[in-house]
Amino acid sequence: MLRKEQNDLLTQTGPGTPMGQMFRRYWLPALLTDELPENDCPPVRVKLLSERLLAFRDSKGRYGLIDEFCAHRGVSLWFGRNEDCGLRCSYHGWKYDVTGQCIDVPSEPEQSGFARKITLASYPLIERGGLLWTYMGPPEGQPPLPEWEFATVPRAQTITTKRVQDSNWLQALEGGIDSSHVSFLHRADLNSDPMFKGARGNQYSLGDLRPVFEVVESPGGLYIGARRNAEHGHYYWRITQWVMPSFTMIPPRGDHSVHGHFWVPIDDEHCWTWSYEYHPTRPLTDAEVAAVRAGKGIHVQYEPGTFRPLANRDNDYLMDRAAQKAGKTFSGVAGFAVQDASVQESMGPIVDRTKENLVSTDNGIIMARHRLLHALKALVDQGVTPPGVDPVHQKVRSASLILPADQPFKDGAREALIARPEVAPASV
Amino acid sequence: MPSESARMSSATEARYRIQAPNSTPRSITVIALDARSEAVVRRSATRSWNHATFLTASANLDGWLSDLAGRSRDLMNEVEGADLVVMVATPGGHAEAASIIGQACSLKRVMTTALVVGATSAPDEAVSETLAQVRPWALMVVIANPVDYIDDMLAALRA
Repeated sequence: MLRKEQNDLLTQTGPGTPMGQMFRRYWLPALLTDELPENDCPPVRVKLLSERLLAFRDSKGRYGLIDEFCAHRGVSLWFGRNEDCGLRCSYHGWKYDVTGQCIDVPSEPEQSGFARKITLASYPLIERGGLLWTYMGPPEGQPPLPEWEFATVPRAQTITTKRVQDSNWLQALEGGIDSSHVSFLHRADLNSDPMFKGARGNQYSLGDLRPVFEVVESPGGLYIGARRNAEHGHYYWRITQWVMPSFTMIPPRGDHSVHGHFWVPIDDEHCWTWSYEYHPTRPLTDAEVAAVRAGKGIHVQYEPGTFRPLANRDNDYLMDRAAQKAGKTFSGVAGFAVQDASVQESMGPIVDRTKENLVSTDNGIIMARHRLLHALKALVDQGVTPPGVDPVHQKVRSASLILPADQPFKDGAREALIARPEVAPASV
Repeated sequence: MPSESARMSSATEARYRIQAPNSTPRSITVIALDARSEAVVRRSATRSWNHATFLTASANLDGWLSDLAGRSRDLMNEVEGADLVVMVATPGGHAEAASIIGQACSLKRVMTTALVVGATSAPDEAVSETLAQVRPWALMVVIANPVDYIDDMLAALRA
């Protein structure tokens, strides 16, 4: 459990909040590059960390992320015209460049210099790995560009999707570091989903429903190891990476692509669930890309024209009690991602953690909260840069491997937990 | 018309969640396995807890299990009354008592957690040595650097 004030501290990320201050120290995924496919394309509304923004790509291919509303009368610039290196408000023609600088106020004499006095808030927006990343913190604290492996391998080796989740970011993250739910909520999908099935590790996962967990601090966050019995005095280990504040990497299975998530607050009651899929040493196959597009694995099918899952709370997640009864799904909800969304959204927009009853196997969640609270305090009180900002903390991998029973996973998997170009992932 | 899931997961509906207590107190027994972890446990014991008992097995003598005032305690009695036993160790310390405590917990079907504190600054060999002693007897192992993690863990578990 958490006290109410601790829960508030971790779940509130708007401007001026401590957790909002912390999120604003990282490069965060803001859009898919495909959402701004060409110069002068339509702008896109973006809400991040409870701030209403507008993303656009100007005539020279520069990306901008600016305050959504015109400084003149507060009209949404989404109705504006993206032309001649700027976004022009459709109401009275005020025009802004990608930095938010007003460059034209048609009603004022050009020589007056009035336009130079008008500036909208803006944030840098850069392309990396098929995503557009933004940094919303103080300019003097802007860190080096993100170095997550999924965002730095050649484009043919990586694909990322996103979906809206109707819950606070923290309960979504906590689902990602709660390895013990896999053997229940997702159990029916391990041997059927095309992005999971066939791996030898699945048999260990399904054959031992009571894994033993080890939680170990890492430089950027946590290693969360789940240990199951394997053959001849060996253990099958699955080691999840959590890097602060909200990046996770799920242990791989066989030669399937590697995947994981990034949870980014939209506001305090909604978040983006970013889901990446990549392979460190080979291009993704056509079948893998097709599976992602079809919403398999950790991805979803969408309501047309949106990033909302087709199965969502408005249609009871397409609950299928017959499939549940027949054992085709454990919960009656199909697909890993929607299964996660359904249970996490059912907790309410911001779960009341004063009422929960954690158990010992929840130590991954307890430790994550502990680390977040410590990093928050250090940032707010002393300006200490939080873990996960340093690109070294981002060059990590998850791993699944078999180790002798007497070997600590931190030793046995030491090399496997670091991202190394052209080196295959440790995967069973 | 919103679906039932949509209505029931709204903030409005959250107000109608039953506020009555949904659990009865759990008893957690914390046992230091070595001298340095005893210092950690002693510090933690000074805080106010509802359902936590703090013991030490660091003496390595006949009356090897005692409370923090030095009074001998009977292991089986202590384990029997616990819902969770947390064994606290430091890298390179003597954690041999883990096997005796672990066997008692296994016999009484009590959940065990091993907490290894101060690991980041310790040599890998020392961490491995301690892990080898506690791992066979712990259903959950936590390797934490800050010594105050134990407080957050016990609070989270409603100790």
